[in-house]
Amino acid sequence: MIDKIRAKARELLESGQVHCFIGYEEGTRGKVRPAFIYEPQDADRLIWDERCTYNLVTYLHQFQSAPNPRPGGVRETPPPVGILVKPCDSRSLNVLFHEEQVEREGVYVVGLTCQGVKVNGQPQARCQRCAERVPLVYDLVLGGVPKTVGREDYADVVKLEGLSPGERLAFWTKEFDRCIRCYACRQACPACYCFECVAEQLDPPWMGIAIDLPQKQFFHVMRAYHLAGRCSGCNACEEACPMGIPLSLLNRKIAREVEALFGYKAGQDAQTPPPLATFKKEEELSL
Amino acid sequence: MSAENRAQETRGQGDKETRRGTPTMSEANGTMNIATRDDVAAWLDGLSRDLTLIAPKAVEDRVLYRPVAGSAEIAFDFGKADLPAKEYFLPSTHVLFSVEKDKEGLRVEEPSLEEGRVLFGLRPCDARALRVLDALFLKEPVDPYYAERRERTTLIGLACREMGEECFCTSLGLAPDDASDVDLMLTEVGGGRQEEGKGYAVQVVTAKGEAILGNLRLREIAGALPEPAVREKTPVLEAEAWSRYFDHAFWARLADRCLSCRLCTYVCPTCRCFDVRDYETPNRGVERLQAWDSCMAENYRRIAGGHDPRPTKAQRLRNRFYCKFCYYPQDFGPIACVGCGRCIARCPVNVDVVEVLQNVATL
Repeated sequence: MIDKIRAKARELLESGQVHCFIGYEEGTRGKVRPAFIYEPQDADRLIWDERCTYNLVTYLHQFQSAPNPRPGGVRETPPPVGILVKPCDSRSLNVLFHEEQVEREGVYVVGLTCQGVKVNGQPQARCQRCAERVPLVYDLVLGGVPKTVGREDYADVVKLEGLSPGERLAFWTKEFDRCIRCYACRQACPACYCFECVAEQLDPPWMGIAIDLPQKQFFHVMRAYHLAGRCSGCNACEEACPMGIPLSLLNRKIAREVEALFGYKAGQDAQTPPPLATFKKEEELSL
Repeated sequence: MSAENRAQETRGQGDKETRRGTPTMSEANGTMNIATRDDVAAWLDGLSRDLTLIAPKAVEDRVLYRPVAGSAEIAFDFGKADLPAKEYFLPSTHVLFSVEKDKEGLRVEEPSLEEGRVLFGLRPCDARALRVLDALFLKEPVDPYYAERRERTTLIGLACREMGEECFCTSLGLAPDDASDVDLMLTEVGGGRQEEGKGYAVQVVTAKGEAILGNLRLREIAGALPEPAVREKTPVLEAEAWSRYFDHAFWARLADRCLSCRLCTYVCPTCRCFDVRDYETPNRGVERLQAWDSCMAENYRRIAGGHDPRPTKAQRLRNRFYCKFCYYPQDFGPIACVGCGRCIARCPVNVDVVEVLQNVATL
């Protein structure tokens, strides 16, 4: 499997089909980390195992050219890149394709079938909930035929919904109180790609620079709303959080609402617009 | 009341000249002053009646320095707090002053700083970090807020028995049991991690430390302080040598995987950048806020007109390392890294400062 990934990356780089291949490599202290391979001979650094949790799709943003700021200006075509995606990552990729943040032709997608990843040796709850074992979008798919498929039951969300509003407020206050406003969650998120985040905008000063509870709550609730119908549940935010805040719970609460209201799940394809980004004539507005 | 008087009061009676840096205790004659954990707990409870006691506390699955009501809340058995104690000297958010308008005219209010504090359980790296911050904030022009907070806080250190997984303090010239940056040093002795027979060897380092010793029951026993287990050091380049590698392609490749978040700077005990801005208050007044800022942030160096002299994340990441190992030592003296390893432990994408130091040494 690793050999096939390395061979494909080498071939893509040698043929000039891509100028960089984004995968995983061995890091320090037994950790795995994102790898950026520019030379064919470096392809042997690539690895693939159950520690490969990162959603590499986040990194596609840095390979895009900035849009021409002039009206009617066109974006320069960035040099193509190759990328490894797991099924969960492929959903993020679909979101970015749909939102025209990444051009389909600009990415060579090596999909990997996946039976779930592990963080510190622990199987991830998100993998047990994952209904895809084969990426939804790819140019080449590698890996064995998956045996089992997970199922999302929103058990933890249901449990939280069972609490009274006061108890829920107390729960989230306790969680957000630990936030240090480092924005690791936002930076790790493939769907958070604004040039300037509301949280950091200085004029107008929506949030300000204070690192206090109101700003922390505002930031996380705002981010969750901005991800409504767009979060594909890759959990990169929660895994990046240094303070162990259960961010996926908030995102999945909203994902569940979106699914219940509109029968929509983010990232299933690159064509269907997310419900909150579209409008139907027959929609009833209670404005 | 002047700052000096307030500081005197905080220290309490029996204040003598500082003995920082001099040999302490009875090391010379091979004895230690031991206090049991129960006695230390009772002593801290006593201190907490008059002073704010800040100590490591379990918060969910993290250990954080928090004000505690008493010793029952303290996590005595901890490796290293997940966040440093920096926030008690350079708070993440601090109102410098506010201006309110009423019938009488304009009123300027300056929030009063915290009263006397005792910080228990400070690890030697976090204590050294304060010494590193002193080099900047206590240099003329002195930062009065930092100076006051520093003056009003007595530091009770807790020596490490071993180096944690990501620790590399010895590479930066510290030792896991370094007592030189605290007022009072406690070292766990005997009994391993079990409660029974466990005690602390108490070293008085400064007069400030001696002043809070009060009625802590000490028992003199024969023996020497246990030697902590240390690991091999990572060589750190001299500040002057760094300029050679400024334009090396290494930084761009390292930064490929950097997320440009602020995590490393906010968990760092020596990162000290802050921003100052004015905001409207609910009463249509204005307040001037100081809050942490981070050189890793995309808008950190943006100036009027929108120009950013450090626009790429490779430049920003390089700056973090140059600030710590080149600029700060050149400008203020100490290296702005104490080897606590928090950035290594927490970086979501394995940017590892020890690996960076090793790599730079071989460029």
